[in-house]
Amino acid sequence: MKRKLAMLLAGVMLVGSILSGCGGSEEPAATTTADGELEGDITFWHSFTQGPRLETIQKVADQFMEDNPKVNITIETFSWADFYTKWTTGLASGNVPDMSTALPSQVVEMLDAEALIPLDDVIDDIGRDRFSEAALSEGEKDGECYSVPLYSHAQVMWYRKDLLEEAGLEVPKTWDEFAEAAKALTKDGVYGCSFPCGASDMMATRFLNFYVRSAGESLLNDDLTANITSDAAIDGINFWVDIYKNCSPQDSVNYVTLDQADLYYKGKTAFDFNSGFQISGVEENSPELLDYIDCAPLPKINEDDPDYGAETSNIPIVVWQNSEHPEICKEFMKKLYEEDTYVEFLSATPVGMLPSITGISDLESYQSNPTIQKFSNAEKVISDAVGKSAALGFEHGPSVQAGLLTSQGVIETMFQQIITNGKDVEQAAQDAEDELNELFKSVQ
Amino acid sequence: MKRKVRRDYARWVFVLPAMIVVAALLIYPIFSSVFYSMTTKHLIKPSYEFVGLANYIEVLSDMNFWSAFLHSILWTIGSLVGQVLIGFTAALAINRVKHAKGIYKTLLIIPWAFPSIVIALSWKWILNGVSGYIPNLLVELGICDQLPQFLSDSNIVFITLILINVWFGAPMIMVNVLSALQTIPQDQYEAAQIDGASHIQQFWHITIPHIKVVVGLLVVLRTIWVFNNFDIIYLITGGGPADLTTTVPIYAYQMGWGTKLLGKSSAVTILLLLFLLLVCLLYFWIIAKWEKEDK
Repeated sequence: MKRKLAMLLAGVMLVGSILSGCGGSEEPAATTTADGELEGDITFWHSFTQGPRLETIQKVADQFMEDNPKVNITIETFSWADFYTKWTTGLASGNVPDMSTALPSQVVEMLDAEALIPLDDVIDDIGRDRFSEAALSEGEKDGECYSVPLYSHAQVMWYRKDLLEEAGLEVPKTWDEFAEAAKALTKDGVYGCSFPCGASDMMATRFLNFYVRSAGESLLNDDLTANITSDAAIDGINFWVDIYKNCSPQDSVNYVTLDQADLYYKGKTAFDFNSGFQISGVEENSPELLDYIDCAPLPKINEDDPDYGAETSNIPIVVWQNSEHPEICKEFMKKLYEEDTYVEFLSATPVGMLPSITGISDLESYQSNPTIQKFSNAEKVISDAVGKSAALGFEHGPSVQAGLLTSQGVIETMFQQIITNGKDVEQAAQDAEDELNELFKSVQ
Repeated sequence: MKRKVRRDYARWVFVLPAMIVVAALLIYPIFSSVFYSMTTKHLIKPSYEFVGLANYIEVLSDMNFWSAFLHSILWTIGSLVGQVLIGFTAALAINRVKHAKGIYKTLLIIPWAFPSIVIALSWKWILNGVSGYIPNLLVELGICDQLPQFLSDSNIVFITLILINVWFGAPMIMVNVLSALQTIPQDQYEAAQIDGASHIQQFWHITIPHIKVVVGLLVVLRTIWVFNNFDIIYLITGGGPADLTTTVPIYAYQMGWGTKLLGKSSAVTILLLLFLLLVCLLYFWIIAKWEKEDK
């Protein structure tokens, strides 16, 4: 009898130990010791997958841990796509980090899921007036800011100076000039411009948005319904289909961000649209082309149309509701914005990452970077564009609809239907608009 | 006098951990999928409602689902036929090799040893319509005037994917069929030769009966794997262009991770499970019939 009891007890203990492994601790751990020293472990997920940025963040974390010996920061790196899958699947089980980077459209979804904590105290400590109001508003809900912009960049037109010069062409200022130049430069193994519409990315939406924004319109209506059937949108669709047919590799119908960028990096396209990250890509793949690349503002419909920007990305940091040590996260964030640290971080991808706070770009330490000096025109063009726009679809303020506009591949599939199946443009646009509006209803 | 029934619970204690693991990893996901398929469960929203069979009705009345289903059927049949034909032929060929059989076997199994991500990205690179090795080679050899677009031409993209899957899966069939071939007693062939049987007759009356059960089981397993295959297609074409390569697993993924409609996505996976169960039952019925005939 005793033996059976002992066995049962052992079994119960075993099951208990297995189940206890699944549960979380009930009370949050204290963040500070009695003498006010920070104490605790935090996890930081970020998407800085390239070498220099990765190393800089790790260096800052190491320094922070040295200054606060009882703090341990675990850094995990994911691509943006993996990060999205990780946090959306991890949210229900509480398997999210203490802090992370995010894309503005994802911040809206995180706020919708009540997954973040407000960071107004951090913003005030860094200096609220140093941030752009528009950038802060991208993470705002009910008057509180839930995200802090870490760096900014904007979409501009990149071109090959040498190819334009050889063909006796000027840098295009209008879409018509752009199409003409792209067609003229499509020869000798070089494509004028690749038009990417892989359905697992948002590149075609981005390109269509350029055209629509240049007409002063948006892909969303004021009531946050989709607007793919406006005259500007239909013109834009026709414009990009024409570019695809005349200047783009046929495979670009399946291209995603990296496939697209790779062509420009390797000198296979004369034009591309991207941020300052283009420079590091070319430097890594074809350093001999560095002297021949530059960027200009996005083309307009008419040359005398007002200047505009189509898409700015203010990449923020957020702190998750599940964090047991939000204070450590906040202190670490402030460390990232310390002048020397911040300049070093931005220098990891010069011109690619522009400061999100004032008082940095004028610093000698920032200006002395050789890439910033070499690409001073690009830096100016992109900095100007940053202030002229918001994240894609955020023209009417942050919304879940804006996120769905770019994350569902609806516009990309629309282009694929037109290009591959010869679907009528207006019908394809109407179907895409209906599909998007149906999706929008699912989140209301 | 009432007889006391001896109950020994101790044995259950020992199997309990394994049962918990099986329940957690197999039974729970199935039941939770069945449950969520009848709800409006959203990937990141905490609340949801019970909607009965509404998700099933919605999925079954979606033309995109039927298009994906048709692609899955074609993908499975095309891949399986190719894999069995090539795997079988390679196994027969290697079985006749007298020297260095191990080297040939190792070389032919290489595709199977690579992770799907490596295979997908390698083929994407090799077939790239701008700088891919094969398209450029075909132009240089004068076989094509222009770079063939294996991954975006609507006429060849699906066949290209099937051929990649055949290349990937045939070695597995080959190894298993080869093992089965090596179990056939040689004296049966010798006796058949003495009786004057031709090679075709030997193949048909000795080889096939000995290996058909193994091949049948392989086909069952490969049907499930190929029908459920997601990674190769998704990584190479993402289901495009224009959904021409979207199969049911990709459709379910887009529903669950794209639109985050987990309820609907669960309904798709349950429909997939039911279909595969039916297919497996049919296969097992055929295999059982073969085994009965052999006895």
